Amino acid sequence: MAKASLKNKKNINIKSFIKKNISGWTLILPTVLMFVLIVWRPIVIAFGYSFFKLKGFEPVEFVGTKNFVDVLTDTNFLKTLWNTVQYVFWSLIIGFPLPFIVAVMINEMIKTKGFFKVVTYLPVIIPGIANYLIWKFIYADGAGGLLNMFRYFIGIAPMDWLSNTQLAIPLIIIAMTWQGFGATVVIFLASLQGVDQSLYEAARLDGAGVFMRIKTVMLPHMYGILALSIIRQIIGVFQVTEQPLVMTGGGPNGATLSIGLTNYLYAFKYGQFDKSMALGVVTFLLLIGLTFVYFRMDKKIND
Amino acid sequence: MKQFRNKTEGLFNFQDLKSPGVRIAYACMFIFLLLLSAICLFPIIWVFLSAFKTPEEMYKIPPDILPKAFDLDRVKTLMGRVNFVKYFTNTLIVIVGCWAFDIVFNGLAGYVLSRIKPKGSALLETVIFWSMLLPGISMAPLYMTFIDMPIIHINLRGSYLPLWLMAGCNAFNILLFRNFFNGIPMDYIDAARIDGCSNLNVFFKIIMPLSKPILVVVSIFSIIGSWSNFMWPYLILGSTPKEPISVLLYQITNGAGLKLMDNEVMMVTMLAIIPPLLIYALLSRHITGGLNMSGLKG
Repeated sequence: MAKASLKNKKNINIKSFIKKNISGWTLILPTVLMFVLIVWRPIVIAFGYSFFKLKGFEPVEFVGTKNFVDVLTDTNFLKTLWNTVQYVFWSLIIGFPLPFIVAVMINEMIKTKGFFKVVTYLPVIIPGIANYLIWKFIYADGAGGLLNMFRYFIGIAPMDWLSNTQLAIPLIIIAMTWQGFGATVVIFLASLQGVDQSLYEAARLDGAGVFMRIKTVMLPHMYGILALSIIRQIIGVFQVTEQPLVMTGGGPNGATLSIGLTNYLYAFKYGQFDKSMALGVVTFLLLIGLTFVYFRMDKKIND
Repeated sequence: MKQFRNKTEGLFNFQDLKSPGVRIAYACMFIFLLLLSAICLFPIIWVFLSAFKTPEEMYKIPPDILPKAFDLDRVKTLMGRVNFVKYFTNTLIVIVGCWAFDIVFNGLAGYVLSRIKPKGSALLETVIFWSMLLPGISMAPLYMTFIDMPIIHINLRGSYLPLWLMAGCNAFNILLFRNFFNGIPMDYIDAARIDGCSNLNVFFKIIMPLSKPILVVVSIFSIIGSWSNFMWPYLILGSTPKEPISVLLYQITNGAGLKLMDNEVMMVTMLAIIPPLLIYALLSRHITGGLNMSGLKG
């Protein structure tokens, strides 16, 4: 009797072991294959193929670091790198403080909190390509552009916007900020709701003014999420591609050409996939350091 | 004024609001937010108004705010001219496929990582979440993969499959699913297993029905995301009969497609904006809930 039940139990254990491991891995296998195909394998390929000369999609000759040298010594490389840095710079100036300030303000509203939350999120759901089109119209040169109409209303002559080399990048960043800041506001609001109310109360009783309360109660609570969004934003904006492609095509005169767009052009305009991958590897290595910082902070915050 | 007296939450409370300085600051904040809301809304409204203007009205100086007539026949004519229904159908196929891949494969992955945990899954979990944080590397190698699939050597350009496959490996959604499934009591699953349910059946019959909140959230993000997805649909489906609306929008401004007047471009833009706006109007309250669920609170 006892022996039989022991055997039975053993059977169940084997069965459950199979069920757990074999069926578990079977269920997750399709997803893993997609990750291999779409996320991991391309990274390995890019690293490998960037040392080869490609003919079509086939590596035909090992050329060592030639692709990298070509890409980095291209007459436009330094300019596009500088442009990309400008994108990041303007996104930090325009796009970073805004969602934080707005989240803090919305959090103070009493009855209109929900309204502001919905309205600031609205641009987020507009398709990206429609957003760039709309802003292209807003920035249009001549009398048809919306900004120029405003200038007309207040009685000044129309001016050039996106075809102004000095203004083009900040203007693209404004369009990106308009579209994206609502998503960050929602994240910050969720974080603000986690601030311990009694700490505000205690600070208030100690005679701390509003700014003191921000400094001693709110900011320490928000520090992690703020740092995370800065790093995410730098990584994201550094790879900006679609926006200049659609809004300016890289112009005027290369003034909005970013590294991401150059990369796209190498592959899909000039068919130089080897160079595109070399530039991709360079960008990847530049940004992976930031990813490490992000990962460490994320872990610290989640723990 | 009554609600001010009850304000106890946030940076300053009812007692601060007694001081005139704080009141002025509060009023300024409110006005700032109103202006900002106007800036958020204005371009969208402007698209809707311009869409109905004639070219002459669009460039009239001084401009009129409202178009002379909201002529719905023009919408109909233009939809016929750009073959909008075709693009709309294509977009729907992209969306439904991406949605199904997203829910099933990321859901299954979340389920395995959260509730089955086979040997070695902890390592897989780390690798998956690491890849969420990786910066993108050139689009070239992935494009090459789709043009010439490894092992089977099939060209997938002009097929919806690449977009669906990309939706099926979303690390962020796996994280969302896993976190949600962690909250489902193991007892339910064990009970079903004792009754002889296979793991796959447990997933579809026990887990999925219990997971409506997370399914709604992932579905909203998935649908709105695929609706606006542009780059890969453009690379994979561009210049084929399967182009979705986002690619149509790019083509008509790029001069590659139909030559349209500016007001007609505005109308196509309007048509592209309306569906996600409707989805948002119906489901907006779930979006904030979803972000809370994702543990992004910090």
